[in-house]
Amino acid sequence: MALTREAYRAFEDVVGPRNISDDPALLDSYRYPLSHTAIHLGPYYRVYTPRGEAVLLPGSTEEVQAIVKLCNKYKIKFKASSTFWSAMGYPNDENTIQLDMRRMDRVLEIDEKNMFAIIEPNVIGAVLQAEAMKVGLNTHIIGAGSSCSPLASATSFAGAGPSGMFMGGHGENMLGLEWVMPDGELLRTGSLGAGLGWFCGEGPGPSVRSIIRGGLGTQGALGVFTKIAIKLFPWPGPARLPVEGIVPAYKVPMPDNFRTYTLSFPTWQAWADACYKIWDAEIGYIGHRQFSMFGRDLKWAMVKILTDPTKTLYDLEELMQDPEVVRITEDMKRDFQLVLAGMTLRDIEWQDKALDEILTETGGWKSAAMLDPDITDWSFLYLVRLGHKNLNLVYGGGYDGCFGLQGNPDFGTQYIEEVTEFKRQWEEKGNIAAAGGDCAMGGIGVMGGGGATVWENFAHFDPHDKASTEGTLEFFNASSAYGVKRGWGPGMEKQNDSARWTDGKTTPKEIRNKLLSGGQSSVFRYQRRIKETFDPNDLGDTYYRTLE
Amino acid sequence: MALEDYKADMERCSQCSYCKWVPLDQIKSQRFAKGCPSVSYNNFNSYSARGRFAVALSLINGQSTYTDRVRDIVYQCATCGSCDVADKICRYNLEPLEMMHELRFRLVEDGQTLPQHLKVIDSLRQQNNMLMESASNRGDWAKGLVVKNIANKPAKVLFHAGCRFSYDKDLSESARSAVTILKNAGVDIGIMGKDESCCGGRVYDMGYKDEFLKLAEKTIKAWTAAGVKTVVTSCADCFHAFSRLYPPLGAKFEVLHTVQYLDRLIKEGKLKFTKTVPRRVTYHDPCHLGRQGEPYVPWQGQEKKIFKQVVVYEPRKPRYNGAWGVYAPPRDVLKAIPGVELVEMERIKEYAWCCGAGGGSREAYPEFSGWTAAERIEEAKSTGAEAIVSACGWCERNFIDAVTATGDKLKVFDIIDLVKQAI
Repeated sequence: MALTREAYRAFEDVVGPRNISDDPALLDSYRYPLSHTAIHLGPYYRVYTPRGEAVLLPGSTEEVQAIVKLCNKYKIKFKASSTFWSAMGYPNDENTIQLDMRRMDRVLEIDEKNMFAIIEPNVIGAVLQAEAMKVGLNTHIIGAGSSCSPLASATSFAGAGPSGMFMGGHGENMLGLEWVMPDGELLRTGSLGAGLGWFCGEGPGPSVRSIIRGGLGTQGALGVFTKIAIKLFPWPGPARLPVEGIVPAYKVPMPDNFRTYTLSFPTWQAWADACYKIWDAEIGYIGHRQFSMFGRDLKWAMVKILTDPTKTLYDLEELMQDPEVVRITEDMKRDFQLVLAGMTLRDIEWQDKALDEILTETGGWKSAAMLDPDITDWSFLYLVRLGHKNLNLVYGGGYDGCFGLQGNPDFGTQYIEEVTEFKRQWEEKGNIAAAGGDCAMGGIGVMGGGGATVWENFAHFDPHDKASTEGTLEFFNASSAYGVKRGWGPGMEKQNDSARWTDGKTTPKEIRNKLLSGGQSSVFRYQRRIKETFDPNDLGDTYYRTLE
Repeated sequence: MALEDYKADMERCSQCSYCKWVPLDQIKSQRFAKGCPSVSYNNFNSYSARGRFAVALSLINGQSTYTDRVRDIVYQCATCGSCDVADKICRYNLEPLEMMHELRFRLVEDGQTLPQHLKVIDSLRQQNNMLMESASNRGDWAKGLVVKNIANKPAKVLFHAGCRFSYDKDLSESARSAVTILKNAGVDIGIMGKDESCCGGRVYDMGYKDEFLKLAEKTIKAWTAAGVKTVVTSCADCFHAFSRLYPPLGAKFEVLHTVQYLDRLIKEGKLKFTKTVPRRVTYHDPCHLGRQGEPYVPWQGQEKKIFKQVVVYEPRKPRYNGAWGVYAPPRDVLKAIPGVELVEMERIKEYAWCCGAGGGSREAYPEFSGWTAAERIEEAKSTGAEAIVSACGWCERNFIDAVTATGDKLKVFDIIDLVKQAI
């Protein structure tokens, strides 16, 4: 259903003719292939999210409010997104307009003393980090990397990432909030709602954290968040990252008060024990099982490629013929990366000693190959900025995480070898990259202080290849069934099945109800009441899960 | 290659939006974080590499048709290649700039042209230059210079002035200086005068492949007939055309930009400075000398998969990501000039912000082109420099126009101007 000319003109009056379009080709640049990346459904070959009726580029909160009010007047659904790296950010249905928040891209203020920033939707992690570092502060970068919007993950999704153990997930970091509710009214929350500034999300004004986001966020399905204050954290490094090296092998000379290690362990139990001990000792700044995303068998060869500007994936086969590469790969089989940040040189010395004790107690070691100064400088920059996260897709162009052994370290480590063997057998079938079965990656301690790891076992495939895409779907169906059989439940690969279906549109109501009426069905019934109250004209989509 | 040959890239593009920014590792501030002028100015996704992949896919799949908006999306891009670098930071295989050229070739083939471009192309066909000037005046820039014309006397090195330096009165002096300095340093140099022709690089970027081929073949034939072995040019666009676009057509000339030749002469002790030039300057990397100025590597091969689903190319495919562009020679020349203090902008080398003059933008979208240049001027001013120095007449023209329009006091120089002041 195309927009009526009356509705189009009304929207155009709000944003101006330069900032609205309903050209079909332009609209097709706002559709997302379901054969792609970590969208946690599918993959479905050559299936796209539906074409929106128009794209609007609002430039202010007032414009967003006016747009949403018009949507209520004309009964048009709307979906706002900032950096557009997931199907979650795109329309589910016809009769939906897309709000591209790109023009609202300012870091409005950095409050150095109170350690927070006020940001708009299209500020990305890398920009906020660069601005924060100028005053000795840093921001948490989510696992998807620094191209993503901190506002989006703080308001609307999980917000987990490698620096979570030191900085918390972004769900924890949201302070004051400006929210254009689904009916177009504006709500300012926490201290901001009481006219006392941005410093607190919970009070003395209204707190809506449990309504607008809960644990996983409402993924753009409940209004539009136009500004937030977000916590910042100490950065004892340089005010500007002094990047060196030849593209794409950028690196930063690691300052004396930092350490970057790849820690490896003789058993998975030792791996888990080390996590607990690191959290107890409060020594980690960034912790991530990062390079394992390239696969247990290929990760060291990939590090060699990524740190040499003359190498490409073409070199992978030859590198894997080298016995030394194979030996180092085996050395790093049960590993994770850890960055330590000393607030003083004495502090880093103490942290180093504490880590050495932990390694002695657990039988772990610092993987020697990763201590090469060039590789240390490269991995230091990689982990601090997280500016290479589209390497997730480097093998064939598509990937998604499966299983998702999320929880305390004992949980994931208990099953990782079983999952590795299961996936390795599927890799042999030829539709996903044969990387060694274990491509399990994720943050080490994804909430403040540690306490949980989030692992997703990457399956790399080619979205341009029908057999690869459909074979990956078959693998995901099998891994979900396996997870259910083993009592872990379906994995990440099915996380969004209740919101978006195989045709790229809203999951049919009867299927949705069936999927949501499991163990936590009362939550979804409660959310139904919230939706009826806040979104009376039903203009948001089913990424906000409700059960009727 | 045809547009359809890039369908794999279109379908493998993960829509991460890295193409909109400078490499994320290199972001130093909010103000100068963006990399793509086109999407920075127009904001819709479709004006970025990821969006153009999607638009192209929509067109070849028949999901949409040509409209004014589609033409705008395709042509309002300076083909600066910033997206191409960003795409290859992590995704080693995507080729958004090559795809963009194929998309333009297709639109031109289908008659989906812009009148502003056609005006230039029509003139080019008659007058052999991009400035819609008379062909008979092409050699005027060299009037009074005592220099060989290779039509009459052979020379070891040919200096190619290019359209901009030949006809732009504000810039011609730089070309004259280049010839004089090289000659005085002992280089056996000649020019082609009025017989010089447009390199065709800019029309290639605009999408007129046939026009490019005609110009390239004409130039290659003329140089071959004159026995040319080495060509030197002060224009980054010409440098790129000669070094990257001509070799696949069979050209085998040594191609140098003037700054490379000067750098060589300075390091060999054949060019010595006698005066101090007390200036604080910043250097702008022209896209076609920097990230697009990497040496041509012949390749013909095909895609294959290893480890079941890892996509590679057999034989090894060259990766053009700006790593080996011409960055050091211009900086080394500037640093060698007594008194010159070089201060860098935030966006440099492979992730430099474009001047806005390329890809037919200056001709068809003067507002966008001027805005892009003005952004660079702001960045130059933020360094505290009194002048922005470059190594391309098109960049310099756009900067001069931007400074004039905004009333800025920032000076605009070609490197050769500063070299001349120091001799």
